[in-house]
Amino acid sequence: MLKSEKKSLIRFLLIYLLSTFLLFALAGLMFYSYETKHILDKQKDSLGHQAQKIKTQIRTLHNTFDKTLVYPRYPDLESTIYDSDKKYIMGTFKQMQLLDEEKLKRQTNRLFYVSKVEPHYLGAAYLLVTKNIDDTLLWELQKSIYIFMLIAGVFFSILGIFLGRLFVAPMRSSMEKMNRFIEDTTHELNTPIGTILANIEILESSDKYGTSEELNRIEIASKTLSRIYDDLTYLTFNHKYNRSVERVNVSNVLKERIAYFSSMADIKQIKFDVKIEENIYLDIDNNDLLRVIDNLISNAIKYNEIGGKIHICLTHRSLSVRDTGIGIAKKDIEIISQRFKRANDSEGGFGLGLDIINQIVRYYDYVLKIKSTLKEGTTMEIQWAR
Amino acid sequence: MGKIIMLCFLIFTTLISKELDTSESQMLQNRCLSCHVPQQIPDELVYRRYLMVYSTFERMENAIFLYMKNPNKKNSVMHHPFFFKFPMKKKSNLDDETLRNMIQAYLMRFDIKNKFTEI
Repeated sequence: MLKSEKKSLIRFLLIYLLSTFLLFALAGLMFYSYETKHILDKQKDSLGHQAQKIKTQIRTLHNTFDKTLVYPRYPDLESTIYDSDKKYIMGTFKQMQLLDEEKLKRQTNRLFYVSKVEPHYLGAAYLLVTKNIDDTLLWELQKSIYIFMLIAGVFFSILGIFLGRLFVAPMRSSMEKMNRFIEDTTHELNTPIGTILANIEILESSDKYGTSEELNRIEIASKTLSRIYDDLTYLTFNHKYNRSVERVNVSNVLKERIAYFSSMADIKQIKFDVKIEENIYLDIDNNDLLRVIDNLISNAIKYNEIGGKIHICLTHRSLSVRDTGIGIAKKDIEIISQRFKRANDSEGGFGLGLDIINQIVRYYDYVLKIKSTLKEGTTMEIQWAR
Repeated sequence: MGKIIMLCFLIFTTLISKELDTSESQMLQNRCLSCHVPQQIPDELVYRRYLMVYSTFERMENAIFLYMKNPNKKNSVMHHPFFFKFPMKKKSNLDDETLRNMIQAYLMRFDIKNKFTEI
């Protein structure tokens, strides 16, 4: 699975599962509150039946009016009778000496049932019946909801993965098509570019065309084409590319590449100011090093002014390339490393260069620093020693 | 010294209140029950009837006071047949305070809270 495809799938799954979870959580909450009310109402109804029983017993006590009266008692149930001023007369629930129904509503751990007693047997005008809430059924309900949420979660996750794959399939297909096209194109470009460059070398060595300006232009155009081809190949096959990291003499490679780009620089009358420390070695893949150096120098040429300068400095700590060109606005520096982003549209190019530099720098854990002032120039520095 | 005075005060007040209780019971016996008993008026039944209708001590006291001051069927909570068997009481000639004390003593004889066994 491609990286971008994976990213899209994860994003889709996150949004899908989060919204599904929220929906189910809301539904679960509503169901739970409805069922809780139902369960509590049922328990309250049973309290009502008990209250009726107690009232009958109170009436009997009132009618017999023995010398001593025994207040009716039940296990798991407490009750109290109050007079018409809501004052305590007798009962098993002694916590409330004055019947306060507002206070009862605030007690959430018990169920209360208050009923009027008429006529006032034993002087009782109100009967309060109370018991602890039987939370067994509530626990059962919670358990059922959790199990349902778990099963629904698993089901919708599987469904989400299936749907996600279905949705990204067209994107995957077009990306594969595009990659195949680039692979095929780059492969087809390789042979003609190689042929052109080889033939230019042959023509240069002959006396007839050796110093021809037209030939020089063809050589530069071919080299540019060759570099774009290299960049495209690098980016297209990057994820399949096996690097061969070895000790490379950066000083020698840099000198070779400056020589390679000299004809291109000559066209814009750009002069190189080169300070290269000898025998600087780095553990790096040779192709990666070539891509970095080529892109740094070609960008410095491309965005330089006619008759400008390129200062190249290689030390044991870093490689810096400074041009005297158009420069980059401060706000663009952050986003300029992104693929296909160009700081200025006045020059051609694919904007691949900086992206390639960025990828390589990140891979080797180097640091890329860009300093630039508009209309003064840009300095690109890669630091490897910290 | 303070403790002795306190103790004496407590003994004194206890004796006085007992004396008052006894005197009120005695007065109730002389002024009310002396007629109720020979006429076999069911005091407990009357109390239960008032309790059932008025619920609180104060309301019962006021209702009985009103009846004693102006005894008629309208001011009584007893059923009408009750008066076929027991004659209507004559208007009380006791002063208000004494009458209220007598009613309170009468109600205290049957007070419901004293009848319940402790839970």
